Amino acid sequence: MKQHAKFARKTVTAAAAVSVILGIFSANAALAQDGLFGRLFDNDRNTKGERYVPTVWVDPDGCEHWAMDDGFEGYMSPHVNRQGIPVCHRQNVCGVMNTDQYFATNSYKLSAGGRQNLANFFQSANSRAYIIAGHTDSRASDEYNMRLSYNRANAVAAVASAVGAKVIDVRGYGERMPKAANNSAAGMSANRRVEIICIR
Amino acid sequence: MTFMKTISFLAIAGLLSACEGGGGRVKTDKTQDYGFRSHHLSTMTAGIWVDPNGCDHWIIDDGVEGYMSERLDPYGKPVCSDAAPPNTVIGPFQGTSTIGDLL
Repeated sequence: MKQHAKFARKTVTAAAAVSVILGIFSANAALAQDGLFGRLFDNDRNTKGERYVPTVWVDPDGCEHWAMDDGFEGYMSPHVNRQGIPVCHRQNVCGVMNTDQYFATNSYKLSAGGRQNLANFFQSANSRAYIIAGHTDSRASDEYNMRLSYNRANAVAAVASAVGAKVIDVRGYGERMPKAANNSAAGMSANRRVEIICIR
Repeated sequence: MTFMKTISFLAIAGLLSACEGGGGRVKTDKTQDYGFRSHHLSTMTAGIWVDPNGCDHWIIDDGVEGYMSERLDPYGKPVCSDAAPPNTVIGPFQGTSTIGDLL
């Protein structure tokens, strides 16, 4: 009789322990979508992909980043389009020079008036640093346009440096980053430009 | 009888912990921080961390979570602006938190 009681008690203990453990496990399985330890028990869902919907954090430049808070971990990555171009709410291009007003056709020599305008711009723009990017329209060869746009950007950068502005990069994109379609005179004119990007 | 009560209590507690998710709040919304000072992630303030190549990254210490993301120019290239020497951080990256960061 005593032994029976002992056995029964043991069985009850074991059953209770199992029910407690099962309770915790099933709890976690049910809540596995996000619980701290849930994912350990949730192999099914992983194969389908777990729902991780980010929010948008906007950096001081005005550009978007994907952000997620998982409880204890935080994740962040820049929001770029499929071409790798950041998605931004405002432009950090603080000066666009239409090159027609600064350079003769096919030339990268700044006019005296253009040089003075640029010097004034860099003295008053009040940015910590600048990136200079040259562009052309689509006439002439790609190779020629790459070289011309780079030479023009360098001419602008030289003026910046001369008045003490910090230039951190100079680039020529040629005709590869058009701002407008090249099928009209107005479009081509808009594409002939040097962009000054202000880094604050 | 007391023994059975204890067992039942434990079993019920185990099941109830299910409802609580064990670790507290069930986190389905990744866009919020549910810490001591709950806030939406869009309100975080960043500093700049300069990597060993001299390029800028936005850095945020949001209490328990840390965030970092590249600073990119409009063409998607890294911004390497000499904001500070490499391997240093500047700006209000720890936000306005009143919780001391012991980590």
